[in-house]
Amino acid sequence: MSNTALLPSRSRSGKAVRRRPGVGKSVSVALLVLGAIGMIAPFLWMFTTSLRDAGHAYDLPPQWLPTEWDWSNYAGAVTGPVPILRNMFNSAVIAIAVSIGMIITAPMAGYAFAKLDFPGRNSIFVGLLSSLMVPAQVTIIPLFLLMRTFGLLDNPLSLILPGITGALGVFLLRQFFLGLPQEIIDAARMDGATAWQTYRLIALPLAKNAVSTLGVITFLGSWNAYFAPSIFLNSTDTATLPLGLVLMLGPYGAGNVAQVMAATTIAIAPALIVFLVAQRWIIASLTQSAVKG
Amino acid sequence: MTMTASKTALPPAPASGRGGRPGQQSAARRREALTGYLFTAPTVIGFLVFILGPLVAALYLSLTKYNILTAPKFVGFDNYARMFRDERLATTYGNTVLYVGAAVVLINGFALLFTVLINQRLPRALTYVFRSAYFFPYLVALVYVSIIWQALFQKDTGILNYYITALGGERIDWLNSSEFSKVSVIVVDTWRNVGFAMLIFVAALQEVPKDMVEAARMDGANEWQIFRSIVLPMISQATFFNITITIIGAFQIYESIIVLTRGGPGDASRSVVMYIAEVAFNKFDMGYASAIAVTLFLIIMLVTMVQFRLRKSWVNNE
Repeated sequence: MSNTALLPSRSRSGKAVRRRPGVGKSVSVALLVLGAIGMIAPFLWMFTTSLRDAGHAYDLPPQWLPTEWDWSNYAGAVTGPVPILRNMFNSAVIAIAVSIGMIITAPMAGYAFAKLDFPGRNSIFVGLLSSLMVPAQVTIIPLFLLMRTFGLLDNPLSLILPGITGALGVFLLRQFFLGLPQEIIDAARMDGATAWQTYRLIALPLAKNAVSTLGVITFLGSWNAYFAPSIFLNSTDTATLPLGLVLMLGPYGAGNVAQVMAATTIAIAPALIVFLVAQRWIIASLTQSAVKG
Repeated sequence: MTMTASKTALPPAPASGRGGRPGQQSAARRREALTGYLFTAPTVIGFLVFILGPLVAALYLSLTKYNILTAPKFVGFDNYARMFRDERLATTYGNTVLYVGAAVVLINGFALLFTVLINQRLPRALTYVFRSAYFFPYLVALVYVSIIWQALFQKDTGILNYYITALGGERIDWLNSSEFSKVSVIVVDTWRNVGFAMLIFVAALQEVPKDMVEAARMDGANEWQIFRSIVLPMISQATFFNITITIIGAFQIYESIIVLTRGGPGDASRSVVMYIAEVAFNKFDMGYASAIAVTLFLIIMLVTMVQFRLRKSWVNNE
């Protein structure tokens, strides 16, 4: 833009700039470290508290590193009055069913919207996308009545059925398939592959990463869900893990803190695994919709 | 596209390929259209049954009086008129708007600050560690982080108050005072969502041409000027996206409040979504609850449409 003014000032300001980032950088790192500690400390406290005798759960000054390695709170948590293991199983069943459904339905629809030509294609896609602005709170009452009519309240199907399709997954996969060269598709069709074979044998394998990411995001979303489960499920045996933990915590945090933290540690494990294994994919797909748009 | 492809792939009949076999062409097109409908059918059915249908039903219910036991009775706009006289609704909507304002300012402010800090050509490993640390809370369920935070917030036994008193401050009643119960909700909301907003900012910042920043620096622009006149305009789309997401998210704030304060004391920290759930599923006043939910829907739709209009269409990008 201002190329003409560049040359004369280059050497002078170049020196000044070089000194400042040195100071700036260490201040930055210090602030970032402080922030990062703030992000991680609560989890650290959760974990060390889960390893402590309940009587010492609230010891002050707080001990940030484990003072003892007592796993009995974990045993206590899973054998307590709230059937945490059962709740975890419920959560897992729902999350797995929803993820499997989603990674079947969303790539198919995403592929159709990206690569197949059919009347009404764009209007249908826009209609689907518009569902992203319908908050769960506005549909929850009719959904509750629907589930009640079909006897699905207090049944995992009330969460699985609405979960196996969704516009976000379709959007993500459509983005991926749009990037796929049309020649690949056409070549397969010319070789005599049916539309289904082209999709199943050519396009879908290429979308492996996008599909895995969608599966992971969907699993985590379902595993973490609270609002709909809290309305559709109302017994401790059908409750999902988040509901079980809230029950265990009791009103005003009256429950056994060390055991609650042990159960919370278990509940967070899937997020931690996803974080360690798939962080990069998730970040890529989360940012793609925002930045390239 | 398909035209050119079929021409090159059918060398024996190049001249008559287009005009000569209209029957075959249209049969292929029909088959492709049918495939398209079949492929999209599950998603479309799910959309009709679980989103569009319930949305229409909610709009209808909002015009009725319905307690589940007897059939809905049409009452026109009575439920909407009733909202203006409902003090609890005013309180809970007021709280929610406060949460939204705080989320927009704090989440995006902190995210932008950390983004600028992290964007200083730090060693890659360090950048990665920081980004991971900030992002992790976002992956953990809001319920779970709220469970941890309610322990940290305890008045007498909580760590937060321990450090506050150690530094000479007064104990704060984080969860049971009408001011600080709101603050607690805001703290947890900000803490959990900063990492996501930061992620979007960092990604956007990577698109800012390095030479442009370098050139400005050579020209003697200071860091603030560079940020203000080059970086900020170039990441405006990400900023806009983040603001939209934080507004929509904060309007729906729910489970963190249930765990932290149960909406209390009184309604001091109750959000409008908690109020909807209470009216619908404790009082079974489904019509009125639907009407409130519809107002929430209209707000979120408005925010989203503004976002849709101000950025390039999602549909036509490649």
